[in-house]
Amino acid sequence: MPNSRMILLTGGSACGKSSYAEELCLKLPFPRYYIAAMRPFGDGSEEKIARHRQLRRGKGFETIERYTDLQGLVLPRRGTVLLECICNLTANEMFDENGAWTDPYETVVAGVDALRRKSDTLIVITNEVGADSRTYDPGTIAYMEAIGRINQSLVQQADVVCELVCGIPLTVKGSLEEIV
Amino acid sequence: MILIIGGESAGKRNFAETLGYTEKEIADAVIDERPVVYHLERLVFAQPEQADSLLDRLLEKELVICCEVGSGIIPVDRNERLGREATGRLCVRLAQQAQAVVRLVCGIPTVIKGELPGKATRDKE
Repeated sequence: MPNSRMILLTGGSACGKSSYAEELCLKLPFPRYYIAAMRPFGDGSEEKIARHRQLRRGKGFETIERYTDLQGLVLPRRGTVLLECICNLTANEMFDENGAWTDPYETVVAGVDALRRKSDTLIVITNEVGADSRTYDPGTIAYMEAIGRINQSLVQQADVVCELVCGIPLTVKGSLEEIV
Repeated sequence: MILIIGGESAGKRNFAETLGYTEKEIADAVIDERPVVYHLERLVFAQPEQADSLLDRLLEKELVICCEVGSGIIPVDRNERLGREATGRLCVRLAQQAQAVVRLVCGIPTVIKGELPGKATRDKE
C-alpha cells in the first residue's frame, strides 16, 4: 500500500491557512481534491465559500462537498487532498438541527484517518478555537472542548504540523521539506 | 516596518519600549505622524470594510502593533466577525512586507520573520 502523509495546519481566523494550504497543494501532484465541509448557510459562510472558490480558481482542484461521514467518502483516485476544515466538520457531526449534541470525537478522528489512508498527501485545516473566553453556552463550550481533543489526536496522526501566524508557517512538528 | 503581534496583554507595548520607543512616539488606535501605531485592531474594528485602505500608511511606519484576535469562536455578530477577519487579513499583508515580525507570548518575544535592527541603529537616528 502506498504511503500516506498528512500535514495539519492550524491557526486563528484569517491567518492565511487556506492560502498556504493551496500553495502547498500546488507543489504536490494531481489529482487534487478539495473537500469542503462548510455548509453553505449562516454566519457569513456564503461569503467565505465564495472567497475560497475564488482563491482556488485555476489551481486544478476538484471540489467535493462533504459535510459529514468522511469514512464513507470514496475518492475517484488517490492524490493530493485538502480538507477544509475540522471546525465545520466537527460542528456538522456534533449538532443536530435542534441544537442537541453528541460527542463527535470518534467520528471525526476516524474520518480523517480514513481519508488519510485514501490520499497520497492529506492536508487538513483546523482552527484554534480555545484561546478565547468561556462565556458561552454549554453547547459551544462542549464544541470548543471537542475541537481541542480532536486537534490533539490529529497531531498524533500528522507527519507535519504548522501553526500559521500572519501568513507565516511556524512548524511545531516534523519537517515540511521532507514532504513538499 | 516591524510588525508586533500577540494576544491581549501579551507584552507587545513593553517590547516596543525595549526597542527604544517612548510613550510620545506611540499613537494609540490612530494613524498620524508618530512612528508607532498601537492597537491596530481597534482601528480595523471601527471600519472593517475600510481595512485595506490603511495598508499604505501602515507600511510607512516603523512599528505596527496589533492584537491577534482570530483564535476563538467565530462571533455571531456580523461586525465582530468582519472586524476579526479584516484584522487577520491585514496582518497577513503587513507581514508579507514587514522587515521583521515579532510575536509575543507571555511577554516573550519570538522573531518569526526577518531580523530586528540592533538597538544601536535606532539610537543613532
